[in-house]
Amino acid sequence: MKRQIAYFLVIFVGFLALAGHFINYAPLNDFIDNDATQWFDIIAGFAAFLGVINLLQLHMNKIVNKRSHWRYSLFTLLGFFLMIVFGFIYNGSPVEMGPHLKEEGSAFYWMFENIYLPLGASMFALLAFFVASASYRAFKIRNFEATLLLISGIFLMIGRVPIGQLIPWWMSLEVYICLIFSLIAYRFTNKKNLFYSLVVSMVLIPFIIMYFNLTELNLFKIPDFQEWIMNVPATAGSRAIMIGIALGTIAQSYRIITGREKSILGD
Amino acid sequence: MNQIKSILIKLGQIDRRYIFLLIGLSVLIPLLKPSWVNIPIKATDNSKIVFNELNNLKEGDRVLLSFEYGASTKPEIHPMSIAILQHLFSKGIKVYTIPLWPEGLMMANYALDEVIESQLFDVKEHIDYVSFPYKAGGSIVIRGIATDIRSIYTQDINNTLLESIPMMEGVHNITDFDFVVDLSAGVPGNAEWVQYACDEYNVPLTSGCTSIMVTDAIPYVESGQIRGILAGMPGAAEYEQMVFEYLNNTPNRKFINDDVSIIPGSATSRMSAQSIAHLLMVVFIVFGNISYYLVRRRNS
Repeated sequence: MKRQIAYFLVIFVGFLALAGHFINYAPLNDFIDNDATQWFDIIAGFAAFLGVINLLQLHMNKIVNKRSHWRYSLFTLLGFFLMIVFGFIYNGSPVEMGPHLKEEGSAFYWMFENIYLPLGASMFALLAFFVASASYRAFKIRNFEATLLLISGIFLMIGRVPIGQLIPWWMSLEVYICLIFSLIAYRFTNKKNLFYSLVVSMVLIPFIIMYFNLTELNLFKIPDFQEWIMNVPATAGSRAIMIGIALGTIAQSYRIITGREKSILGD
Repeated sequence: MNQIKSILIKLGQIDRRYIFLLIGLSVLIPLLKPSWVNIPIKATDNSKIVFNELNNLKEGDRVLLSFEYGASTKPEIHPMSIAILQHLFSKGIKVYTIPLWPEGLMMANYALDEVIESQLFDVKEHIDYVSFPYKAGGSIVIRGIATDIRSIYTQDINNTLLESIPMMEGVHNITDFDFVVDLSAGVPGNAEWVQYACDEYNVPLTSGCTSIMVTDAIPYVESGQIRGILAGMPGAAEYEQMVFEYLNNTPNRKFINDDVSIIPGSATSRMSAQSIAHLLMVVFIVFGNISYYLVRRRNS
């Protein structure tokens, strides 16, 4: 019975919210735009409270049963309780509770500025090291797709930063020639022929480009080429993904509000 | 020849700790000595669009500034916040800050404090700017702001009732704002502002976000639903440059304190570090590939 009430509520509110977007009836629109959002706020508040209980349960269980890495849980709970104390009980500044959260001098502010902020920034900064190491090991010309990824990755990395503007047209051209040869290398049975063809191309093609006065082509300006990658192929890919997600959301929402999707209640 | 080959193979297989060391130095040196690596910054079209859109606003216009980033993404987005606030205050525009992330509250506070403490503008709380508190709910809060902001917020961050704040007069929903600027590092972010508020109510929106988010946001930019975009730290540096030039050269100095010197923001100096680090990564990739090719050839 309890489950059926829950399903009934989900289905009823789901259809009501959906109807609010299609039926132009003032009380219904008002309910969707105002009351429903406030209901959500209240539920979100309770959900946060449930999250807190869940966090406590999880880590206390870990500590009591001394599961693997239980010592980390001690730090989690210590941080959790400290912030609760500084947020709700001990202020540490002359300002009243509430505004003290943004008041320099309060214990909460001190913790945020001196503990949380540097730790958060450090975590993100570590990414630079991991990205460098990972790209060094994983960005390899293994096949055609990997080569395309490598080309776009390099052009984005260089084109997104000011140093990309300093790279002259002929250098971009030489990069293109090398990349084209890396793609067609397997067609050369004699490696000497490959090498000579590459050298001749690298010497001759820049002169041909100069002769036809094509040095100002956007293709040879790395920042412009990077913008083209972002605006055309990346946009096309993103749009396809977005449309796919939207269709999936519609299908999933339909399953939820018609009671077909039971996982939302933990089944 | 064999010796060169073995050196190249070794270069492609160096221990990751050396890579970490080189990356650390490539970032640290330009940060400590910015004058050693001075690379000019050229604004991209998207950054120019953001600047021009905000520059077209008039004195007294209302801009909603949404803060959706935290400590981890502060170095990338915070310089944008400061440059945008400087730009808006220099034109006498009313600013309404809304944090949609719990940390966004502190970020908004930091940005406002930095701009106010610079004394470049004579701005006062509740007259030139108002800060709203954090509310849980993400996209639902955006929806609430779109339809009735007073049903979501009854007071500002200092517990002052909205009815007693002069600049809240006539502000009821999203259509009462002339522009929305979203500064985001995730969800809710610019996509939610497009979907739940700005597109439906025809309120112009622009965004500053992390570099990694740009690919997701660019379809909205291409369709005009987001007017230009500041992409990561390069976007922040470009905007800082444009604001720096504007503050120095604008004839409209009504809201600018000329006794205070104008200095470029922090993103500009960080771009050299990012440039060198990116270049070094490309070098690593090249060596990695040469080594990979030689090893594969040797094994076959």
